[in-house]
Amino acid sequence: VVEIDGRTWEPRVLRYIVSEDCGRMINPRVVEGQIAGGVVQGLGGVLLENFVYDGDGNPVTTTFMDYLLPTATEVPDLEIGHIVTEATSNPGGFKGMGEGGAIGSHAAVANAVADALAHLGVTVTTTPLGPSHIFELVEAARS
Amino acid sequence: MKPAPFEYDAPTTLAEAVELTNSLEDAKVLAGGQSLLPILALRLSRFDHLIDLGRIGELIGIERANGTVTVRAMSTQADIGASAVVATGVPLLAKATPFIGHFQIRNRGTLGGSLAHADPSAEYPAVAVALDATLEVAGPSGSRRIPASDFFEATFMTAAAEGEILTAVHFPVWAGATGFAVEEVARRHGDFALVGVMAGVRLEAGKVAHAGVALFGVGGRPHRATAAEAALVGSAAPVSDLAEIGQLAVGDLDPPDDIHASGAYRRQIGAVLVERALHTAIQEAISHG
Repeated sequence: VVEIDGRTWEPRVLRYIVSEDCGRMINPRVVEGQIAGGVVQGLGGVLLENFVYDGDGNPVTTTFMDYLLPTATEVPDLEIGHIVTEATSNPGGFKGMGEGGAIGSHAAVANAVADALAHLGVTVTTTPLGPSHIFELVEAARS
Repeated sequence: MKPAPFEYDAPTTLAEAVELTNSLEDAKVLAGGQSLLPILALRLSRFDHLIDLGRIGELIGIERANGTVTVRAMSTQADIGASAVVATGVPLLAKATPFIGHFQIRNRGTLGGSLAHADPSAEYPAVAVALDATLEVAGPSGSRRIPASDFFEATFMTAAAEGEILTAVHFPVWAGATGFAVEEVARRHGDFALVGVMAGVRLEAGKVAHAGVALFGVGGRPHRATAAEAALVGSAAPVSDLAEIGQLAVGDLDPPDDIHASGAYRRQIGAVLVERALHTAIQEAISHG
């Protein structure tokens, strides 16, 4: 669930719910850590991270002061649900895991931003979606 | 990366620091290290000598006397945030402090360092401008005072001359029915603002008697919104046309583009933030009235 300030265009993730099925969990804390890491990659990729190059092709986001990664304050409490359907193809009932958080989160976050802006006639086709990017999308839709 | 090698001096008196600053070749004053140390570590700059002001007792402390709160330059942002004298005498300075970096940074960063560095996106320079603070600098020929409105000249450029050290900042205490507010938009908590606003108002008999509004992140130095202030003074509180006042505040602004936000974004959101900050400040002033 993403909320966007309708005047400053700051996006904020209010709620993030993710569920996965990795069969029998050997260590649930490791499973949740993997999911959290993947989700945060998606949050960062959509809302913050951006490789920027100047007109001559030189990278200009060469430090972590310019290339913005999500930190603890940018990540909402993640609500994680576990569905356990044990695999029958191995004795332990295990399945792979670790990508579930990362694969869904980019699309989920970008689609949530797009949905929050849809009533303004905005079509979101690129990321990142920081406040200035959203402002430009809204301005373009209005004109 | 690590900084290029430098000689480190840690004088214990201001006189000694001024002497070192003026006698050593290629020396830079270290006032906490919030900005200077990353600059050195990234090798954006290098100096042969660093003169650490952190051990000079006379540069630390916060006092209130005769309607003025004096914050000495090496008071840390953490000290300022925790000071009862600041909270009651200069509420805007207290309110701005949590927006600076994170608490680990505020344990090192100082008021003087922030003002002397003069980053146009920083909070404290805009507080000093909005409140008409006076900055005191010391050099080989003694000390002098510079109004905040004259101190900030351009990005990283101030009216302090080569060899002068910022020693203290004098903030006038706004008495009576006053309210203050900070608004800013940053990409992440603790990042430099894309655009921000410091606002203060004082009411008399239900009308705005005095207003101080400064925007930051919109150019080379804090922008004092004098047209907006003039329009506010005399208005009955609560003020109904704050959106127009917000537009007045950005009227002559042409903020720069950078990788985080366009100038057009900074300008438009600056107006929104002025409106919001003034709304909050006026509500607070009414509740104090």
